[in-house]
Amino acid sequence: MKKKMDVEKMTYAVLAIASFFVFWWLITTFTPAKETTPGPIEVIQLLIDSFVTPIGNYVITGHLLVSLRRVLVGFSVATILGIILGIAMGTSKWAEAIFKPIFELLRPIPPIAWISLVILFFGIGESSKYILCGIGAFTNVTLNAYTGAQNVDPELIGCARMLGTSERSIFFRVILPSCTPQIFAGMQVALSTSWMAVLAAEMVGAQEGCGWMIQRGSDTLNITLVMVGMIVIGCVGMLLAAVMRVIERRLCSWNIMDN
Amino acid sequence: MNEYAKQRRKNKIKFGIVSVISLCVFFTVWYICTAVLHLKPDYILPSPVQVVTAFIDKLTRTAPDGATIFGHIGASLQVALSGYVLGAIVGIPLGIAMAWFRRVDMFVTPLFDLIRPVPTIAWIPLMILWFGIGLGAKAAIIFVSAFVPCVINSYAGIKQTKPVHLWVAQTFGASRREMLFTVAIPTALPLIFTGLRISLGTAWMTLCAAEMLASNKGLGYMIQVNRSLARADLIVVAMLTVGLIGTIFTVGLNSLEKRFVKGGRRG
Repeated sequence: MKKKMDVEKMTYAVLAIASFFVFWWLITTFTPAKETTPGPIEVIQLLIDSFVTPIGNYVITGHLLVSLRRVLVGFSVATILGIILGIAMGTSKWAEAIFKPIFELLRPIPPIAWISLVILFFGIGESSKYILCGIGAFTNVTLNAYTGAQNVDPELIGCARMLGTSERSIFFRVILPSCTPQIFAGMQVALSTSWMAVLAAEMVGAQEGCGWMIQRGSDTLNITLVMVGMIVIGCVGMLLAAVMRVIERRLCSWNIMDN
Repeated sequence: MNEYAKQRRKNKIKFGIVSVISLCVFFTVWYICTAVLHLKPDYILPSPVQVVTAFIDKLTRTAPDGATIFGHIGASLQVALSGYVLGAIVGIPLGIAMAWFRRVDMFVTPLFDLIRPVPTIAWIPLMILWFGIGLGAKAAIIFVSAFVPCVINSYAGIKQTKPVHLWVAQTFGASRREMLFTVAIPTALPLIFTGLRISLGTAWMTLCAAEMLASNKGLGYMIQVNRSLARADLIVVAMLTVGLIGTIFTVGLNSLEKRFVKGGRRG
């Protein structure tokens, strides 16, 4: 029964994707849309081609690595800072009173709105991209670490304290593990926001990277290049999310089994 | 108990004062760094006083970016709302249909999974090439950014309906239609609102990016053009306005949610 449903599901999926490509091909071959939009064959050709023929300074993998490095540097630094700040705000009333108003003031500003200011401050070099990715990740991680640390079951803390656990081990063995799932949820969102922020930063001012690639396609009226860029960006985004999920499953296996 | 409540009130006042002091320190440090020490030139880091005067000035003056602050806000709101409303109108029913009808699910989900991982910002160049740099392209970008979270969340919302509830409805002779409208959709409503909230955030963020790349009015344009004009004070004004409007939207949606969602986690 289960197998039969899987087969049916697969058939539908293949059918859907095939019909999408056929529809795309038909539109770009037989209607006026062919003037502006490339067909699937051209896009796939350019995609394969771009692995050997450089676009701008690099081949496509080069652009990818540049963008990934920017995301990972900004994301890692911001995640560490965000976890520290979030947990501090969630566990200490003093830290909450001091940092929360400033955080709440800056939080609603989307990371992309920082681009201009960051560029004025740090120029259009690498550091401004790291910082933009960092801003994209920081707010999400902080917010989740904060709510996670706030919602630790007080009974658990009381219990540990009653049994004579030191404050230090309460923090490392009770508070930290119980807000880990929430922090991971924040990191998951943060990573995709960072990925988005790096694209925006590269589209506004850069000489390489995935964002630059699609912007270049747009500037030179090369829709095929834009589409290739979008495919690559989508694949990498999916890959990043998958990697995060694997790490999460490793670190929070107790929590996932619970559900 | 009374003693406890008293202690809590005292704490609240104490930490309230700490918060106010912290904000004051923040602004004072900012002021000292800029107006007194001039760590960075004015066109890179304006002092808070400059930002406030720039804001007041911008209420009536159109120079140097072509519109008053209200003009920019109006332009941004027009784009954001048209795309957002359209995304919600298309996205929510699609998500519900995907979760409710098995065939739709099997056919549409693979297609949806195909476009979902592409960040909305990556759609900007394509939309500009297709629709030009007018309202159409920007509304289309916002549409994509609002559409995706709406679909995902209404899909998840319907899927989490407890089968027992559906069976009860069936036992009492409800039709498929009644089951959808009286059991499944009310169950999904909290998640649908979550989707609306998430998509509002992404829509507002995407709007900034879209206006930075192609526009001649709007808050994102204001942020972008004042960088080339080296008017950091106006950039900060625009950033704060973006943040403020985003907050107002979120508060509005939350109160709407409280009114419509009965029961559920938020109660």
